[in-house]
Amino acid sequence: MSQGSKPLIQNTKCDCGHQNPTGTVLCEACGKPLTEEAEAQPILEMRYDGVARRSQKENPGIIDRVWNFFSSVKVAIYLILLTLVGSSLGTIFPQESTFLNIDPSVYYKEEYGQLGHIYYLLGLSHTYTSWWFVLLLVMIGASLVICSLDRVLPLYKALSRQRIPKHMSFLTRQKVVYQGQVQEDGADWVERIKPIIKKKGYRVRTDGGTLLAEKQRFSRWGPYVLHIGLIIFLLAVLGRNLPGLHMDEHMAFPQDEPVHIKNTSYYLLNDGFKVEFYTEDDMPEEFKGKNKVLPKEFQTQAILYMCEANCDDLDKEPQLVELTRHNIEVNHPLNYKGLKAYQFDYDLTPILRTVSPMLIDSKSGKEYGKITLSINDPQREYQAGEYTLTLTQSFTDFGLGDNGKPVNLSPNPNAPAFLFLIKGPDLPKEGVQYFYFPKQIDKERFNQEAINAQLAGGEALVKLDVLSMDDVDFSESTTYLNIRVDKAMPFIWVGCFIGMIGLIMGFYFTHRRIWLRIDNGTLTLGAHTNKNWFGLRKEISAILKQMNIEVDEKSLENNRGTKHESN
Amino acid sequence: MNLIDFSGDAFIVAFTLYCVAFIMYALAVMGRRFRKRDPEAHLAKWGKIAFVTATIGLIGHLLYFFTRWAGSGHVPVSNMYEFMSFLSMAIMIAFLVLYFIYKKSLLGLFALPLAILIMAYAAVFPQQVQPLIPSLQSYWLGIHVTLAALGDAFFAVGFIAGLMHLLQTVNFSGTDKGARREQRWLELVMFAIVVLIGFILSVYSFRAGGYQAEFNQTLVDPKTENSTIVKVEYNMPPLIAPYQSETESMQSFLGMKSPLMEAPSWMHGVNAGRKLNTVVWSLVTGLILYGLLRLILRKPLAKFIQPALHRLDPDDLDEISYRAIAIGFPVFTLGGLIFAMIWAEIAWGRFWGWDPKEVWALITWLFYSVYLHLRLSRGWQGKYSSWLSVIGFIVVMFTLVGVNLIIAGLHSYAGTD
Repeated sequence: MSQGSKPLIQNTKCDCGHQNPTGTVLCEACGKPLTEEAEAQPILEMRYDGVARRSQKENPGIIDRVWNFFSSVKVAIYLILLTLVGSSLGTIFPQESTFLNIDPSVYYKEEYGQLGHIYYLLGLSHTYTSWWFVLLLVMIGASLVICSLDRVLPLYKALSRQRIPKHMSFLTRQKVVYQGQVQEDGADWVERIKPIIKKKGYRVRTDGGTLLAEKQRFSRWGPYVLHIGLIIFLLAVLGRNLPGLHMDEHMAFPQDEPVHIKNTSYYLLNDGFKVEFYTEDDMPEEFKGKNKVLPKEFQTQAILYMCEANCDDLDKEPQLVELTRHNIEVNHPLNYKGLKAYQFDYDLTPILRTVSPMLIDSKSGKEYGKITLSINDPQREYQAGEYTLTLTQSFTDFGLGDNGKPVNLSPNPNAPAFLFLIKGPDLPKEGVQYFYFPKQIDKERFNQEAINAQLAGGEALVKLDVLSMDDVDFSESTTYLNIRVDKAMPFIWVGCFIGMIGLIMGFYFTHRRIWLRIDNGTLTLGAHTNKNWFGLRKEISAILKQMNIEVDEKSLENNRGTKHESN
Repeated sequence: MNLIDFSGDAFIVAFTLYCVAFIMYALAVMGRRFRKRDPEAHLAKWGKIAFVTATIGLIGHLLYFFTRWAGSGHVPVSNMYEFMSFLSMAIMIAFLVLYFIYKKSLLGLFALPLAILIMAYAAVFPQQVQPLIPSLQSYWLGIHVTLAALGDAFFAVGFIAGLMHLLQTVNFSGTDKGARREQRWLELVMFAIVVLIGFILSVYSFRAGGYQAEFNQTLVDPKTENSTIVKVEYNMPPLIAPYQSETESMQSFLGMKSPLMEAPSWMHGVNAGRKLNTVVWSLVTGLILYGLLRLILRKPLAKFIQPALHRLDPDDLDEISYRAIAIGFPVFTLGGLIFAMIWAEIAWGRFWGWDPKEVWALITWLFYSVYLHLRLSRGWQGKYSSWLSVIGFIVVMFTLVGVNLIIAGLHSYAGTD
């Protein structure tokens, strides 16, 4: 159509007398095409039944303009395409979040060269948390809400107020059309076909010589139900980032030691850890002989406690009450009222927990008394018979610094060491200093005896020594759990569920309508569906057959369409 | 005979039956031109025989699947061989579903070669039953993977019908810019399919010949600058050797005794050189094959195929393509995204982690939602829609194969060396 012929103000009053809102394509009452564009179509464009969308107002204000922007499906498609391209950019190199301890400003350059550095500088190394990506998601959310509202309300009104008689040009320009002669009276014929159509599951209404049959209208709401599900999903995803709704910690749990879970009053105890490996026989040929270690299963026997008292008091033991027990495995997390613990990793290196060395006279070998030393939590003072041992310094990872002085290399208990001041009978009044390395390997590595001899200014008079293996207590393994709280999860699943229902409604059911009118012995039938035209034609052909009208399925297709290539 | 061996035999029987069915389809379509009998009856008869053969093939394929399941104790979708076999089976199931709706058996003329190609691709990978690592030991493995693959299979049938629509409607006598562009792009799609056949042919020919070459590749850690030497095995003649490598042993191939060149420095990964070599071989074989076909047929492949489709109604093909995608979309959403999220939540403790495979599943979903919006709201039907279904299938295949091949991630256990 030529632009010049478009009138400035459209006359939206139909010949049938119905006053339509601006932007209406097909008369709401009789279906007659109202715009020149629709008039020129060989087959009517039936989307949204030709009703005016909410956004098609005359004189839009600012809010209307924003509304109009987001109400456009074209804009929605561009937003989806941008999100699509954006997400794919994020998969070129691994994201920062896949690494535990890296400095991205160096890492990407070292690992992936100049391109990697550019990737980092563009912010693509954290694509999915960058402002533009989140903004795209928010805009898609806005588009979902507005597009849906803009169409669903007018469509709902149109479909619930359908009139039975339709304009001739509405019927003959449907995609499925039949015209033929009937001998009997129109109203009688319509009454006769009514039960046949009903049998196919249609709701049928008649008005004299006209008929409207409709089925599975709810299928039309499918897309909107899907959009509601997606909106809930998106809100939940965006809302997760609010404080307090989300916790995600990776924690180490040495065996038999309750560990406090940060910011909660929960303690979790690793009451035993099991791991089983695949044997050589279970392996396929390609793995055999390669010393490949493949774990079959690993399990943490976890006990969850609630702290009742002395929780923040470091000097007292916290009072714990058992809440629940669960054997945590991959795919089988512990779940207690939204607090979840997932098996993440494990470490089979034994960790020394307590040692109980004996204080011995170096010369005579006389035993004075035993102390019980906790590696992680040593006391200030110990009593061994008549001797007092005062802890003056402790190390978790002992080492010698550049100046030859002892330093702590890390907070990990790799090489624990303790410096005591020992006082008692036969010792100098100010006491003697004594270095103690609980691990045998460290005793040798740092030469404990030589250090103590030096500290004593000759030979050490007393020494600490473990007499039997019973005096050593190990934690055999450490399990690593991922502790999570995610209060938005239920909304995410609800969103998915609603969306899925919408998809099923929209895609596995089809809205079909058949209009019929008889004018002076001429039957005109038009039909519309939102998908599966093939099935609709088949159904109509079967219905007409029962009325003794033989018609080939394919010939029901409106041929006016084939001359013009769509688009 | 144990179940796993039986399952392997069923696989071969299914593959053979698919090939026979495809030949019958070809005879059904081409035969009606040579014979003097009623062409319609000929097509109907042979089309039916071909369809029945394909259905029996599918039964064999199902037998493979369930006996392997029983024999290995887990749903056989845990590695690339098992997954690709399942995908080709799912494509046959999707084809059957669409057949029962539209009764167009000729769809099989294209569905079968696709299923055959994917099955042959599956057999490239090692076929032993592998034990499952703990994160895969869940019934969600079966539910998530099979349903996602079934969704993808419907997209594949959408692609087939879309491609048939394009082949049917492309105007070979047109000389204007648009017609020429379409002819060229369609021929490119045909060429891509030939390259895929070239890949499979080269893998099997060199495997049958027992070809082997070994290299010692020096890998340098960029941080510590420590270098380690890794052994890289080739099963195809090395046109391209790994980056910074020395030849350990190499069988000579057509007088070629040393690699022609080394992989570029940015392809320094352990298997990058070998993958590049495979790609080059596939292209070489594909080009030779394509050249031969052009010499024999003396016309573009698309033009050769077109007459086979002349009886089909393009509107029907367009609708089948859309319908397949419309059936597949909810299945894919459920299997590829929702169930994937549920499993990820259970196994890894997060429902979404932007792992490359997850991102590409999302991209597939976004792409098909664009397809649906363009079709339903903006009236893109016919040619446009068909081209989108072709592009969509490329996205699907990239998600399934390309991501594993090029980008690794948490899903790397489905490895593709």
